[in-house]
Amino acid sequence: MPIRPFRPLQLPAGLGLNLIVLLVLVLLVAAPLLTILMQTLAPDRIGAWRDVLASPLSPNLFWRPAANTMILGFGVATGCVLIGGLLAWLVVMTDMPFRRLIGFLATLPFMIPSFATALAWGTVFRNGRVGGGGGLLEGMGIAVPDALAWGMVPTMLVLIAHYYALAFTVIAAALATVNGDLVEAAQMTGANRRRVLFGIVLPVVMPAIIAGGSLCFAAAVSNFAAPALLGLPVRMQTLSTRLFGMIEIGQVERGYVLAILLIAISAVFLALGNRLLAGRRSFATISGKGGRARRFALGTARLPLTALALLICVLTTIVPILLLIAASLAPMASALFSNWTLQFWIGDADPAFARGQAGILNNPQLLRALSLTMGLGAIVALIANVIGILIAVALTRHRLRGISEAVSQLSFLPMLLPGIAFGAAYIALYGAPIGPLPALYGTTTLLALALTAAMLPFAVQTGRATVAQISGDIDEAARLTGAGFLRRIGAITLPLASRGLIASLLLCFVNVVSDLAIVVLLYTPTTPLFSVLSYRYASDGFHQFANAVTLVILAISTLAAGLAALLRGRNRPWLSS
Amino acid sequence: MMRPALFSLCLTLPLATPAFAQDLDMLTPADLLPLAQEEGTVTVYSFTSRIGRVEAAFEAAYPGIDMIGFDLSSTEMIARLRSEASAGIANADVIYVSDSPVVLTELLDAGLIAPYVPPRVADLLPDSAKSPVLQQRLSTKVLMYNEESYPDGAPVDNLWDLTQPAWNGRVMMVDPLQRGDYLDLMTEIVLRADEMAVAYEAAFGEEITLDDGITDAGRQFIVDLFANDVVLFGSTDDVNVAIGATGQDAAPIGFTTYSDRRDNADEGWALQVANEVMPSNGIVFPALLALNPNGPNPAAARLAVDFLMGDDTETGGAGFAPFYVAGDWATRTDIAPHPDAIPLDDFNGWRIDPQQTATIRADVADLILQVQ
Repeated sequence: MPIRPFRPLQLPAGLGLNLIVLLVLVLLVAAPLLTILMQTLAPDRIGAWRDVLASPLSPNLFWRPAANTMILGFGVATGCVLIGGLLAWLVVMTDMPFRRLIGFLATLPFMIPSFATALAWGTVFRNGRVGGGGGLLEGMGIAVPDALAWGMVPTMLVLIAHYYALAFTVIAAALATVNGDLVEAAQMTGANRRRVLFGIVLPVVMPAIIAGGSLCFAAAVSNFAAPALLGLPVRMQTLSTRLFGMIEIGQVERGYVLAILLIAISAVFLALGNRLLAGRRSFATISGKGGRARRFALGTARLPLTALALLICVLTTIVPILLLIAASLAPMASALFSNWTLQFWIGDADPAFARGQAGILNNPQLLRALSLTMGLGAIVALIANVIGILIAVALTRHRLRGISEAVSQLSFLPMLLPGIAFGAAYIALYGAPIGPLPALYGTTTLLALALTAAMLPFAVQTGRATVAQISGDIDEAARLTGAGFLRRIGAITLPLASRGLIASLLLCFVNVVSDLAIVVLLYTPTTPLFSVLSYRYASDGFHQFANAVTLVILAISTLAAGLAALLRGRNRPWLSS
Repeated sequence: MMRPALFSLCLTLPLATPAFAQDLDMLTPADLLPLAQEEGTVTVYSFTSRIGRVEAAFEAAYPGIDMIGFDLSSTEMIARLRSEASAGIANADVIYVSDSPVVLTELLDAGLIAPYVPPRVADLLPDSAKSPVLQQRLSTKVLMYNEESYPDGAPVDNLWDLTQPAWNGRVMMVDPLQRGDYLDLMTEIVLRADEMAVAYEAAFGEEITLDDGITDAGRQFIVDLFANDVVLFGSTDDVNVAIGATGQDAAPIGFTTYSDRRDNADEGWALQVANEVMPSNGIVFPALLALNPNGPNPAAARLAVDFLMGDDTETGGAGFAPFYVAGDWATRTDIAPHPDAIPLDDFNGWRIDPQQTATIRADVADLILQVQ
């Protein structure tokens, strides 16, 4: 038996990194979640579990909404990956014309609030079931069946139209890094297009497809606006409408139990995705060199595919935006295209108009909200992505049994937690001073912390998709030559992951700027934010003003998207033809 | 048990002792003013953004006191107050909130809000508006119809009509399991089960027969209403459009807010209240004003509540102006009814008793959950 020389206790590589990210996640995510869980376990509240799971109420309280939610989640994830993936492939890998335009438009739907997309659907397909005069189709004498106007079909289509941009963003960033050498080699050895697509491109971007699909799944199952607008008239409930309603009517425990169950169910399905992602090792394709792939010639399919891509973009981007613009100009919500006025934008306070509200550009709070919201959005996006990359590296390079599973699941949870519960837990946990740490109540720091946690799913998923593609060989080589962890992150991972990172920064920024649920519990009048202004208008029925503020948010998001495109532009051969 | 943070707050704020609070309760606005000016600020949690206009009026009336208004829905306010209390934070001074059945059980019983009735207006309020918590004004969820579509008046005169084939799929309301106001409406119908039974006989000339497992006429009405395919929405605005939009031949009918009628001209609606309805057209419910028992500015808080109750002019003056609208009513008996609306005394709606509502509200929610 060989005698091994004595060595100091050998810790698994990456243990430190794993523990650090775990700690961050415990503080930002697990602790608030535990606070919510504990509330449902108090002796006088624990009955809520039985009510939800095993009582005469269960079918309508939980099982049917849960079934609807899962159908919605899978349908939306599939639809988003198909549409987002198709557009990403067309934009990044083919010789389709208008690539730049379509690539830009396809990132926008996510920035349009989902209620606007739902509203657009209603404007066209609304039928007599709800009175109020029908939509455009009924106006033209075309009868619209209930199944097309209300319930699962329109909700699913609207959510796909809204969230495919998530899948597009993640998948396009990954496609752009596919090593041209691989494709070229395959082509030279006689592989046809189909073979290259299914044999090389698809496997290589699989992490991104899974990440994009997971994000869309989580976004769909937690969306409230679309099922509330389009599902309720035919009494279709999802877990998100159910849990919102339960909290709203004062049955908070039941609402929280539903939220926890939503998390549990989603976690099971997302774990399957994670397993796929973790179980394969052959994704590494960014090796720091290699040219871009030659573009696929679409041939005879070029025109029809271009038309299809343009149609998708117009329907999901231009139409809802035009509708929002009309809704910010029309005095009557029931007649969106008549009597337009700029009063809601630039009007002075006039008692005869909108009960004396001045136009939003005359609201002195707007400018303050503008700078504050953008500052907060930028900082949160940055911090969330720093944490996101660290988590992605820990999950991809240094998997440790037990810890990695926990990290992976925790980083996904915030997306599924109702904002109001999350915000309340943050006040209870970090509002008061803890030991030497000062009380965070009423500070922008608390707001930023909560929002950072809420953005982690985006940052981590996009981070993972990109880091998984980066070849471990370069990292290994650098390590052997003595480069430290931070050095390697800064010199190798960050530059190579930059495409995915910029996409993710953008997603986080847009999300922070338009988020309301968390903000409304944590804001103070000294930190007015856009979403609060918009809520203030909407809660008193001033929808034109609220829509105008939404458009300002959209304009900022679009500018940010444009800026990101410019940043990438210096080095994006995939868009030049 | 008192949390350390809360405890230290009380030590540093010797003014916040119960005895002192009781003294403050007795003071007139003139006596409160110097104390309030010393405090310098007052924070109001409000369920309506109209607090913005109160802010301006308050600061004009009482220079030197900065009113800080927070807009939060009642649900968000309850969540925020509860979590603030558990962290030992007292941020709000004044709580202006709707959703009274939940507020009374979740906040008043838990000691998170304290009642206060300004002595100046105490004699001008009915007892029902003073206890257990001060009621500032009354709002509604009542049966409304489209007066363009039905120029001869409301197409129904009995709530039970809504359960008949003629109104199948044509009764609109917000899902009572999405908004508390509408659950309160359903609950009141159950609380008034005897009146519902009498109304049934008036409508059909025979005594009501109850389904298996249904215990009263109020619950039977809910079952029948849902069986008649009532159409649910997520927000009152959507109901207003459905019922009120002009240009409809046979507009649907439904439950919404009486005061939304004031937007008829702006929005292109023809909403009108159905007042002559047996046994009632819906509910009248209060907006509440209360104090945070640990609020940092106790004198300014009382001055603000006093201000929000309106001055001694006929319409309540600047403090009440944002709330003096057709279809809402001041609880103060000396404030004149709005000329464009039915006076409260002639209004057919049931006045809810929030404490009564709270006793069976969850049961009614469970019933709706099963029949939905």
